[in-house]
Formats: sequence, structure tokens, C-alpha cells
Amino acid sequence: MATDTKIKVVVGKPGLDGHDRGAKVVARALVEAGMEVVYLGLRQTPESIVAAAIEEDADVIGLSVLSGAHMTHFPKVMELMKEKGIGDRLLTGGGIIPTKDQETLTAMGVGKLFGPGDDPSLIVNYIQDWVKEHRREN
Amino acid sequence: MPTLTPTLWDEFTNGDRRACARLITLVENHPDAIPDVHDQLATRLGKAIRIGITGPPGVGKSTLNALLALGLADRGHRVGLIAVDPSSPFTGGAFMGDRVRMDRLVGDDRIFMRSLASREGTGGLSPATPYVADVLEGFGMDRILIETVGVGQAELDVMACADIVVLVLQPSTGDSIQSLKAGIIEAADIIVVNKADIPGVELALQALRFALGLGKGRKDRPVPPLMPTSAQQSEGIDKLLDEIEAQAKRLVDSGRHLEMRRARIAREIRSGIERCLWEKYAARADAESGIAHAAEDLARSGGSPYPFIGDACAKINITLDRKAETNDSQDR
Ligand SMILES: Nc1nc2c(ncn2[C@@H]2O[C@H](COP(=O)(O)OP(=O)(O)OP(=O)(O)O)[C@@H](O)[C@H]2O)c(=O)[nH]1
Ligand SMILES: [Mg+2]
Repeated sequence: MATDTKIKVVVGKPGLDGHDRGAKVVARALVEAGMEVVYLGLRQTPESIVAAAIEEDADVIGLSVLSGAHMTHFPKVMELMKEKGIGDRLLTGGGIIPTKDQETLTAMGVGKLFGPGDDPSLIVNYIQDWVKEHRREN
Repeated sequence: MPTLTPTLWDEFTNGDRRACARLITLVENHPDAIPDVHDQLATRLGKAIRIGITGPPGVGKSTLNALLALGLADRGHRVGLIAVDPSSPFTGGAFMGDRVRMDRLVGDDRIFMRSLASREGTGGLSPATPYVADVLEGFGMDRILIETVGVGQAELDVMACADIVVLVLQPSTGDSIQSLKAGIIEAADIIVVNKADIPGVELALQALRFALGLGKGRKDRPVPPLMPTSAQQSEGIDKLLDEIEAQAKRLVDSGRHLEMRRARIAREIRSGIERCLWEKYAARADAESGIAHAAEDLARSGGSPYPFIGDACAKINITLDRKAETNDSQDR
């Protein structure tokens, strides 16, 4: 039974800009892969994202950051996750991320990030593998 | 197997929201843990009023719920919110979008919101819903709002776990009251016509009044009040809160709240016994193959399954055994 436990993901889009098409595409792909996805919508703050992830007891937080502001949003959310005691969950998402930024973020504990051109199945597989490896006891 | 550890319980009783969330996950994902969780929670339960919010998709249940939660919190309550969304029967996945309408609640310590996927639940709720409500009550919430799946037709299971049922409709529902699932109007303690800011409210209210006048509505309770609201413009919300609170008070004062709790506990005991007996039987090495053989014989040669059932029951030896025999007896 425990092996069959559902993966729960909170998906949101931080920042004031733009639309949430990217976030929705990813959310749909995760749902189709059998995950339970709590969709937060647009204009989230790092605080609102982390507070929601705590209440939902999410395994994974997925952010869509296509505005180029990934170097502010991802570190801020990661920092809050650690501060609020959920630093053991996966922070991943999408953006247009140069290799050296990905390296900096990885060093902070952020997971792999995916580009708008990547097939959504890549993030699906990445999350499934990560959760398999890091499954919490309860 | 995940269990309720003393550390988790300590954190929970200290008001740690993370621990509350993890306890909810525990009862949601591991029904085996429910007896232990319940033993611990038992002394903390019995006071909260559970309010079911049901109705067709898109009528504004979540938007309204956010306002109700804030309003109840402003009136001094601590509020638990549960929003159930449908799981796909094909993939098992679920898209849960209710939080999009609940932005304003995030970070408010008086409120705890949790989304649940309906999983194998059938009546617009997830099977874990009543247990999740128990966890929230144990965490100190005295008003629990439960939003059901906005299935094509609102469903009725919410009655079994809510003290007050609020049916939410919208103006366009007026034309199609006849098509509302039989029973759903009867189930309602309050009928809300939301989106009163768009045309057609009066017509909808009339149609509903007419339907209620025809003797729809509950036989054992007063005719449900019809309340127009606009969740978008925060109109009619205070009146709705007044009505909910008045009904809550009447339930408690009349003893009906206790009566409903009694019925719920009786149901829990009955299903616990059923489950226990089945598990005893299923634990026998030949349980599944025995049933399969009997069914094959009966299908082929005809005959009643009841002698087999009688034999099977006679073989079950009744003792409730728990993995960890708990010795702290908590009588109600
Ligand atoms: N005009 C108007 N629109 C409203 C009102 N309340 C909610 N809405 C809109 O109706 C849509 C659906 O609102 P939700 O609160 O998500 O409805 P719901 O019943 O929870 O939907 P499901 O959970 O999907 O069944 C949104 O676009 C809301 O903005 C209202 O009072 N007036
Ligand atoms: Mg909703």
C-alpha cells in the first residue's frame, strides 16, 4: 500500500507578470501521470506558496517562472521551505535557466528545472524518481 | 508502515501546522492508522459544527467558502476547510483548483485549508473526509467547512458527515431545478443562490420557492431558507453567516447535534465491525480461492451462496487485534 501512495504536488506561479499557461500544462501532465496536483494559480508570493505546501503536506513544489526572475523566486522559496521545516521536499519547476544559474540553484538545494521546450514527461519522470528515492515515513 | 509517533502527536497538540498536515496525510493514505489516531483524538471531539457546501460545478462554492471561513474566523471561530475534487478514474490523478479562489486565507492562523482528491469515494467526498474533519477538530477547529466535488449533480454523502448542508446554486439553475438530482433539495438546510449580481436571480428564487412549496424539502425539518449571495461582491454573506450560526445554535440547544454525533459513532462502530470481520476472514489462507471456487461452482450448477457464507462466518474467530495493543483506555 505504501508503495502506492499518491504523490502530491503544489503548483503555482510566483510574481505579478504574465499568464499561467505553462504552469497549467505541467499541472495537467502531472495529473495524467496519476499525481494529485493542488493548483494555486497566478500572482503567488513565496510565503503563500510555502504556506499552501505545508497545509497540503506536498511532496513537491513546482513553480513556473518564465519571466526570467528565477534567481529571485527559487532561492526565496527554498529559503522559506527550510525556515518553515519543509526543506526535505522537492522544489522544481520550469523557466528559461542558463546552466550557470542552474548550478547556483542546485547548490542551494533546488532540484532540476526544465525549459519551456522540454517534454512534460521529463518533469513527470524526474518527480517520480525523486519521490521514490526520498519517500518520507509519514 | 507509517504510524502515529509520539513526536508527531506532541507537535500536533502543540499547534504545529506541519504536524496537522502530516496527520491528515496519515489518515488519508493509511486507513490502518485510523484506530490509533482516533484513540488519541477521541477526547478532543464532539463540539465542532461541520458544514457541508455542495452544489453543481462552477456555482462559486470555493469563492463563497473562502468568505465564510473569514467571516466565521472574524466571529471568533477557528475554521477548518476541506475541499474535495474528483480523481480521474483512469489515471488516479486529480487536479485541485479550489485554492485559486482562496488566496486570502493563506497565512491566516485561524484557518486551516486542505484539498482532498476524491480517490475511490463515490458520493462527492473522499472516503477519508470524516477522519480529516476529526483531525481538524482535534487541532482546535470548531467550524469545519466541507466543499464536495462539483459533480454534475451534487451528491448526498455529505449529509452523513455534515451537521448543516448548504446547497449552492446559481441563477441559471432556475430553469433546471427539475433536473437536480432527486434528494439534493431535500438534503439542504440552507439553499444559496450565488452570483446574485448577474440577471435571473429573482426567477431562480421563484422557481425554488415553487419547488419547495410543492413539498420538496425536508419532512423532518423546517423548509430551508433561500438566500441570495454574491461571493464576488461579498453580498449576502453576513446574512448567510447569521443563518448558519443560528442553525448551529439550534442544533446544539435542541440536542440534535449530539443525536447526529451518536448516529455517526454508531455507524463508525458498525463499519468497524464489518471491516474487522472481513479482515479476519480475508486473512485465512484459502479466503480468496475459497470464494472463487464457491462462486464458480454456484454459477455453473446453480444453488444458493448462503450455506457457504454461513460456513465462512462460523470460521471467523472474533477478537479485535491491533498491531500495537494500546493500553491507554479512552472511554467515551
Ligand atoms: N458573477 C459572479 N461570479 C462568481 C461569483 N462567485 C464565484 N464566481 C465565479 O464563478 C467561477 C467558479 O467559482 P468557484 O468558486 O471556483 O466555483 P466552485 O463551485 O467552487 O467550482 P468547482 O469547485 O469547480 O465545482 C469563478 O470564475 C468565480 O470567479 C459571484 O458571486 N458572482
Ligand atoms: Mg471549488
